[in-house]
Amino acid sequence: MKILTLLLFAMSSLFSLSNYEAAQKSEAVMSGFEDAVSKMQMTLINARGQQKSRTMKMQVLEGEDEDKSLMEFLTPADVKGTKFLSYEHIDKDDDQWMYLPALKRVKRISSKNKSGAFMGSEFSYEDLSAFNVKKYTYADKLEEVTVDGVAMYKGESKPVSKYSGYTKLITWMNAENFLIFKVEYYDRKKKLLKTAYFEEYKNYGDVNRIGKITMKNIQNDKTTILVWSDEKIKTGLKAKDFHKRYLKR
Amino acid sequence: MRLFFTLVGLPLMLLADLEVSGHLDLDSQIYLSVPKSKHNNSFTLKQTLELNYTKDDLTVFSKLYAQEDYYDTLSQEEHNERTFIRADELYLKYDFADDSIKLGKSVEFWGALEFRNIVNAFNPEDFRVDMFNTSKLGVWNLAYSYFTQSGELSLIVKLNEPDQKMPTSPYVYYFLPEGIAYEESLESSQGTQRPSIYLKYSGTTESEYPLDYAFIYENGYDSQRYFTTNATAISAPTEFRQKAYLVNKFMTYNTLVVDATLIKLEAMYVKVDGQEKVGDYSHIAFGLEHTLENFDNGAALGLIAEYYRYDTYEDDKYTDLELFETMQNDIFIGARYTFNNSEDSSVVGGVVADTEYGEQTYYLQYESRFMEAFKVAFDYYYVQPSTSTLTAYSLLETHQRVGLNIAWHF
Repeated sequence: MKILTLLLFAMSSLFSLSNYEAAQKSEAVMSGFEDAVSKMQMTLINARGQQKSRTMKMQVLEGEDEDKSLMEFLTPADVKGTKFLSYEHIDKDDDQWMYLPALKRVKRISSKNKSGAFMGSEFSYEDLSAFNVKKYTYADKLEEVTVDGVAMYKGESKPVSKYSGYTKLITWMNAENFLIFKVEYYDRKKKLLKTAYFEEYKNYGDVNRIGKITMKNIQNDKTTILVWSDEKIKTGLKAKDFHKRYLKR
Repeated sequence: MRLFFTLVGLPLMLLADLEVSGHLDLDSQIYLSVPKSKHNNSFTLKQTLELNYTKDDLTVFSKLYAQEDYYDTLSQEEHNERTFIRADELYLKYDFADDSIKLGKSVEFWGALEFRNIVNAFNPEDFRVDMFNTSKLGVWNLAYSYFTQSGELSLIVKLNEPDQKMPTSPYVYYFLPEGIAYEESLESSQGTQRPSIYLKYSGTTESEYPLDYAFIYENGYDSQRYFTTNATAISAPTEFRQKAYLVNKFMTYNTLVVDATLIKLEAMYVKVDGQEKVGDYSHIAFGLEHTLENFDNGAALGLIAEYYRYDTYEDDKYTDLELFETMQNDIFIGARYTFNNSEDSSVVGGVVADTEYGEQTYYLQYESRFMEAFKVAFDYYYVQPSTSTLTAYSLLETHQRVGLNIAWHF
């Protein structure tokens, strides 16, 4: 009996996933969309429950490791036409520009501080950048847990960038389809800062796209909800469509 | 029936792709220190209207600006002559795969610095709006741009030099001395229809520390002007008029990203073409902008330092004083605090110290959004001009103002 138990344990260890492998699978099920065009609604909820809303048009070009994105504010009216262009990089800081329509000015932005808040929200710039396994190191341990009757993998990762606002992330992902369900973000003092819930995934064959993220800041009691709508993928966008010239258009 | 659908359907189809936006502002300013002959307040209603039609690769854009000055509506008061409607932009642009063509009236922005963009000189300033806020006059031009993978090569032909109107003497920002009238029609070396040609090359490096760069060569009228008068050997001047002269001008503006710091440079060297009053000159400005993040609730603090230097190279010709150049040897130290709240509130402030003539300018601006569609902005300015030298600011005398702007955006 002892031998059988040992054998089963050895086999389960042999076939069980590592934390890193689970992250790779999670990245894989979200990859392959080539490009995406969508509308994004951002709802800011303060500690008293008051809500403010803003909408954006999003365009994303999927790269091997480095995505490009162009975001245009549609509301509120005073920021309409403000655009944000970003070229992600793995081995160096992202290239980022902002277009201010009132001045007709394209302004270069430093992306070193990845923890900077995005437009009054509880999201930071690094929260909004595409998930890439190379941006993190992974603890060996991958727990198998159950949340509301659904089998999940739970693993810990640490950002590679020393300029990240986080010391660690704890991620829950669906054990069946590897879609992320929840992420806990720990600040530089190693205290829990935020919790993000990922919902309303849309499936396009072998590609999945996120539909809604709810980011709750535990320390200030504020919440930001992002909802994507009217999304189209594989529309034929090219790198040329993310040239700086389109900021001014 | 077909005609009916054409008459009704076509405009509806066009309107479906037409975006309308703009804002209506009520701008109030109280001047705490002001010469006795000037109004000690200003109330201005401003309206900006933008119409943008985009269909595939074609863009048609129009921007109108109108303002009404309170004193211009009163019959018993001396008018400020600040009430007008202005068409700032009206252009047609077509984007091809690797190039684009633009024709019409437009406003272009060139520059990298925060306090003043010395190379942002494609469009002249409208003196009737507000000395401390940029308000550019659109100019007619034809532009062709070719786009490389990370840059752009443009040929721009400016087709005219517009007249710069001025308010009248009771308005606080009318600079000319009492009794001197301003003649608005521009005097020029070869007529205001003589085209100015600009060749611009800009791009971004893919180095570890990326650099955004732009180089511009101009052959045409300088953005700097000087005043001519109607004075004779036996009579004092009663009228001033601006004079435009031809130059060959080399300009550059650059931003280098080093970690969380932006290092900025704007510079120009101007070779003046056969002008007896104005000689060759240069203007250079260097700036640093460093952003500190993670204050309370994700707020950010930007720290800014800039230095401006203006030099003339020919003796017996006008210097910075005669040319009313204010940033000739000046240091700007400023800060911007963004609260990261849902109202996008921010505070910007700073001081400009003139190291040559001992002048100082202090300012503080706060802006925030309320009820989603409204913006409110407060500002405070204090200018201490030179007491020993006749500078541009000394014509303004010691100046102190508080301002409130409420705007409805749609």
